[in-house]
Amino acid sequence: MVRVTKLRYGFPIGLFLFFYLDGILGAVFPQQLFSVPYSMSSYLVVLWLVFAVFFEDQIQIPLSIWAAVAGGLFDVYYTGIWGIFVFVFPIVVALTRACYKAFPINFLSGLLVYFIDITVVCSLSYIGNLVVHMTSASFADMMVDSLAPTLAYNLAAYVILYFPVQWVFNRLKN
Amino acid sequence: MNKFFSNRRLVIVIVCLIVSFGLMSVSVAIRDKRSTPPLIQQFGNDVVGLVNRVVAWPVSGLKGSVSGFSDLMNTYQENQRLKGQVQELAQTKVHDQTISQENKKLKKELKLNRSLTDYAPVNANVIARTPSAWQNQVIIDKGSAAGIKKNMPVLSGSGVVGRVAEVNRTNSKVELLSNSSESANRFAVTITNKNGQSVHGIVSSYNRDKNLIEMGNVTSKTKIEKGDKVATSGLGGVMPAGLYVGTVASTGTDNYGLASKISIKPATNLSELSVVTVAIRQAQTTN
Repeated sequence: MVRVTKLRYGFPIGLFLFFYLDGILGAVFPQQLFSVPYSMSSYLVVLWLVFAVFFEDQIQIPLSIWAAVAGGLFDVYYTGIWGIFVFVFPIVVALTRACYKAFPINFLSGLLVYFIDITVVCSLSYIGNLVVHMTSASFADMMVDSLAPTLAYNLAAYVILYFPVQWVFNRLKN
Repeated sequence: MNKFFSNRRLVIVIVCLIVSFGLMSVSVAIRDKRSTPPLIQQFGNDVVGLVNRVVAWPVSGLKGSVSGFSDLMNTYQENQRLKGQVQELAQTKVHDQTISQENKKLKKELKLNRSLTDYAPVNANVIARTPSAWQNQVIIDKGSAAGIKKNMPVLSGSGVVGRVAEVNRTNSKVELLSNSSESANRFAVTITNKNGQSVHGIVSSYNRDKNLIEMGNVTSKTKIEKGDKVATSGLGGVMPAGLYVGTVASTGTDNYGLASKISIKPATNLSELSVVTVAIRQAQTTN
């Protein structure tokens, strides 16, 4: 359980801030993020969830539930199609937890874990959209036009935000 | 078989998969058939959209100041270029005014109140863009409260950029022309060539690599050339006529060599949208 720390308020605020930033950054910098045919999808909300796994320490945040909530909002507000991210986000949290148990997390190994996470998010959302006929793009198109730029963007976000978010979590825990 | 069902985790995974696919199919069905999403989804979207505007404000402010600086650097060159265009535009505008007055008078004589070309514009800001490669979709800050309905055309700059896909009370989702989904960009359009002959058709797909929209299944023998203008035809649905879509980029035959396929260059850069206009048709609609 989240003990009475500032994290109790800080974590949801950060989660929603990053959730909104995903959409707003796309609207504010469309030419940089969506220059045809490439499209970088911003998944800062996933970054926040992954950082929470890394930095929560003894404080057990009910992350799977928060991930499902964020995923549900992502589905309803951004895509309009229920049932993709509401399951993908908790899967990513579970995956990150498993990696965290398997080996010690530091800046570099965390980067690799986040690499896997983003690949999972992109692939599963592609499969979901393919199944409901929202896209007809081929797997190769998906790799080159969507996955590669998305990975580049999100890993850059990881590198830039790792230490600031660590500092924020340390402040909130005490 | 026993072992399979005793594995609790596997059962949970399968149940989740079924629920996931169920939810996806239901929401796609609702999106395709109903004019508004379920009430609870509308309410959720309205609440989320409200906070979105608050968070977007400082971010757009920051972007505004940065782009203001770069705009200032380009101002001189742009000014030179635009001066030439302004003179031309003034002429066209006066001509346009006279023609629209004449048009009004003629309509009055014919007792035509509202024809297919009349529409009421509703301006809206883009507040978010779907962070997904599979849905080229933006969220605008006007909804059913402003008179917006599903499938209305959305304009930006000089031409059509997409259509309204989902309407909530205070915000709506707009599917762009560049959407790769199979039902997104079916616009009824008409191409007019230099001799004044026109070809009607429907936008059938989008070419991701070349950034062109394609109009397939054209069986007309009318000669269409590169540079001919494409506009909406106003046939069927809630679309007004005469909205500029783009210019013809190339013509050819389809994969089977039977009908011709026309590639159209969109009038507006689809990845640069900040303010859009929703066109509400004034003539009687069919749905």
